[in-house]
This record gives sequence, structure tokens and C-alpha cells, in this order.
Amino acid sequence: METQRVVNEPIESPQIEIHAPAAPVDTQKKAKTRGRAIVVTSGKGGVGKTTTTANLGVALAARGARVVLIDADVGLRNLDLVLGLESRVRFHVLDVLEGRTTLADALVRDKRVPSLYLLAAAQNREKDDVATDAMLALVEQLRGDFDYVLIDSPAGIEMGFKNAIAGADEAIVVCTPEVAAVRDVDRVVGLLGNRINAQLVVNRIRPALVRKGKMLSVQDVNAILRLPLLGVLGDAPDVIVSTNRGEPVALDEASATGAAYRAIAARIAGEDVAAPQASEPEGFLDKLGSFFGGRR
Amino acid sequence: MTARRIVVTSGKGGVGKTTTTANLGAALALRGKRVVLVDADIGLRNLDLVLGVEKRIVFDLVEVVEGRCQLRQALVRDKRFGESLAILPAAQTREKTAVTELQFADVVNNLAAMCDYVLIDSPAGIEHGFRNAIAGAAEAIVVCTPEVSAIRDADRVIGKLQERGLPMRLIVNRVRPEMVRTGEMMSVEDVCDILSAELLGIVPDDPEVIDTTNRGVPLVLDPAQRLGAIYTKIARRLEGEIIPFTQLGTGGFFGRLFEALRAG
Repeated sequence: METQRVVNEPIESPQIEIHAPAAPVDTQKKAKTRGRAIVVTSGKGGVGKTTTTANLGVALAARGARVVLIDADVGLRNLDLVLGLESRVRFHVLDVLEGRTTLADALVRDKRVPSLYLLAAAQNREKDDVATDAMLALVEQLRGDFDYVLIDSPAGIEMGFKNAIAGADEAIVVCTPEVAAVRDVDRVVGLLGNRINAQLVVNRIRPALVRKGKMLSVQDVNAILRLPLLGVLGDAPDVIVSTNRGEPVALDEASATGAAYRAIAARIAGEDVAAPQASEPEGFLDKLGSFFGGRR
Repeated sequence: MTARRIVVTSGKGGVGKTTTTANLGAALALRGKRVVLVDADIGLRNLDLVLGVEKRIVFDLVEVVEGRCQLRQALVRDKRFGESLAILPAAQTREKTAVTELQFADVVNNLAAMCDYVLIDSPAGIEHGFRNAIAGAAEAIVVCTPEVSAIRDADRVIGKLQERGLPMRLIVNRVRPEMVRTGEMMSVEDVCDILSAELLGIVPDDPEVIDTTNRGVPLVLDPAQRLGAIYTKIARRLEGEIIPFTQLGTGGFFGRLFEALRAG
């Protein structure tokens, strides 16, 4: 049954043939090993796209998968910083697309997790310099060599966003419990259309504020978005620290956020684990607040 | 009357551009200035939500540009501020390329003839939407958080503003004094040094901002919000008053608590 589907695929959807090699034997082999291309996006900026891309990449690679991360934020790249690889970036996506270097030379290998690679964005170029077709072809090529191609989308829904989603057929949309973020994500999910299968990560939940009715709950967020939930992440200050240091929390066995990212990675890989839920230890000021009669 | 035309921008998203635009606008309006806020984030508008006027939008910026309504018809007045505060909403279902830089500058200039301040809320990034947002501005406020990624993006944006000859000042947002003290967060001085920018304001991190934003209440209208006083200070600095900055992150616990209460 599985074999039949693969054999029939080029007939049912002729656009597949564009990227498939000429020999039919190769087509079948490629179809089996072709990696997954997942775009991490949100519409709104600053909700945690880059942090999520970096940590899921680290967590998937630590599970033994071959992973490549593409920074699609031409002109405002940050994925290299979050991974701590900024001093090792020599070439970027546009160097590859414009033929100044090979794809192999442009990939930066992570030292901590050797099956993780980064393809950095150009910092001194414009997003309009990237052709959508070229980006699509690049992702297709990488899917032949890697199990996962994770694409870190820029904020917004302009050219950079369009290029970022071009080669993906899955999306992880990151949303924070804010009305503005929910509205932007809703718009983005609409733009992803039926071709791209979207799943949700809710980031920066503070359970104490949710309990007090001062923050939207995950249920509130997903009552509007209605997406399959991959997981929930708490608002933890160690994420800011790890970003500034270039050490993703997914590498930290002691970090609750790191554990949540590892659980989400397991879910992406198809393991039957529960979606992580945010929990936060009661902060000092919360305790102080309840001591003085729960004013906060 | 010719208004000051100020764009609020950052490069990185989610650092507080829209919150800053809304609250500075509200603080200026409370001080008796006539203020128009322009949402330049076509397709992903949010300024209307932060001010709680989303249900009262009839026309938008793109419809003004396309001549389908008068500029005055598209302005949504925030009734809590009498005649002082209005917003020109962005279109939600159009692309940023629906408006050219020239058309955007034209709208801003027309608004400048009818008020004291035009504050332009830029979208994240440095694409067409950003170029539109800075097209009509004569000054810029760059919002940055004490994170390496936000600083790198702000640096890139400051370069673009300098190319245009736009004078700029910096607001450092979401500072956590306790993390600065333990060396886990960059200090305001560090951020200003790296960006070699003149400081306009320091805003501490306050999780309750999310709640007021979700409810559409500007912080300056909520007496329970300590950040309201901080935006008022920034508004006064914008008007040319000299107000010293509070040093964050020194002293013992009570000193820090005290400083956090009167920061800005």
C-alpha cells in the first residue's frame, strides 16, 4: 500500500516531477529518505521563533537526527547568535544561491551536537534579493541530505516570510498569550493555506498570571486558533540568559524549558509523549505579595 | 500647525514598538498635545487593539491612499482623551506594498498639518513596511531590549536611519534590574554604549503590561500601573524637559525595590 502510493505520486501530482531526478529508481529512493521541511513562523516578532528554531534543532539533533537550520531573516539574522555560532559563519544563503560558494562550505556545523548544521542569512543584503524559486530549490536539495530542515522565518508577512514558507510543507507557529500575537498568528495561519500543515507552540505562559485572570490561557489562545498543540513553554528568565550566551536551553538537562523543548522534539519525531505544559515555581515577589494579602 | 513626525522602530519584533507608540501618544495627549498615531503595519495591525478601538475602525490608511475616503474620515478618535488622541489604522487584509513611500510620506505630512505630534508605529523588519514608516518621519525613536539579538537588529536599523539623516534616540525596554545586578542581563549603559545612541527612556519589565495591552487600556490611564509615570517622563523628555534618569540595579533589596518603583 505504501509502495503503491509512492509509485502513483508523480502521476497524481505532476509538480513533484520538477524536483525528482530522471531515473525512476532514484525517485523511489529519494521519496523514502526525503527529510521534513518545517518553517517556524508567527507573524508577530519577538514571540520566540528563533529561540524555538534553535532549541528544537538542538533537541532533534541530540536524538540522532540530521538537522539543518536555515535563517531566513536576511538583513536581521539572529539564529547564529542564539546558537553561539556567529564567529564561525563565513558564508550565507545568498553566497550559495548566487554561486560564490558551495552549499557544503556554507553549512556551519555545531560542535556540541555534531549532526546539527546552520545555514546563516546574509546580514548586509535585502530580503528582496532572495528569489522564492531559488529558496524552494535550496530547501529541496537539503531535504535530500537531512532528516529535518527547520526554517526560521522573519517577523511579518512580507517577502522574507514568503521565501521562508516557500519550501516548507509543515509549520510550527509560535504564539504568546497576547491578543496582538493571536491576531497576527491567525492571519499567518490563513496565509499558510491548506498546503502547509500547521501546529502550535504557545510560548511565555505565566501560570500564576493565568490563574489570576491577568493572562490569556492556552485554552483561550487555541479557542481562536484551533490548531493541534505541540506544547506550551513557560516564561523563564534562563531563556534570555541562554540566548545572550549562545547556549540553547535544550542542552541544559536541569532546565524546565529545555525539557519542554526536548518533549516537543520527541512529539515532532512522532513519539507518543504528552504535550509539555508550562509550570513555574512561585517567584519571590508572588510570595511577598501573598504575604501582604495577595495584592499583586 | 506643523507637527513633529516621529517614527517608532526597532528592527526586531516584539520589543515594544506598539506599546511604546500607544503609551507615549497617550501621555502626550494627557499633557494637552494633539496627537495622531499611524499604524504602518499593514496586514498585521495591532495599534488599534492596544488602544482598544478595534471595533470602531471604519476606514484605513490604504483606503485613504486610494482615495476611497477622506483622511479625517479614517481617523479613529480615542474618546478617553477628548479631541487629543486619534489613530489612523492600517489595513488588515492588504499587503504593505499597497502603499508607496511617497504616498505614505504624503499622508504623514497631511496629518502633520492638523496636530502637534504624528507618531508612526513601524512594523518589525527592514522591508517595504519599514521603509514606508520612516518615509514621512523627521525623527526616530528606536526601541531595544537588553538582548544581543535585539541590539544587533537595532544597530542595523540605526544605520538605515543615519543613511536617511534621521536623528534618533533610544528607549531601552524590559529591563530587569535584578538580572542586571547578577550579570545575567546587559545594563542600560552597555546597550547605549554598543549602539552609541542618546537615551530617551528606560522602561522596566512588567508582566502586567500584557494584561493592560490585552484589555486595550493605555498604561497612563491605569493608576495601578507604575509604568504610566515612566511614559509620562519620556513624553516630557520628548518635549525638551530635562529629567534625570534613575539608575537601575544598584543597592540592596529595598533600594532596588524603591528604584524599580521610580524608574524611568
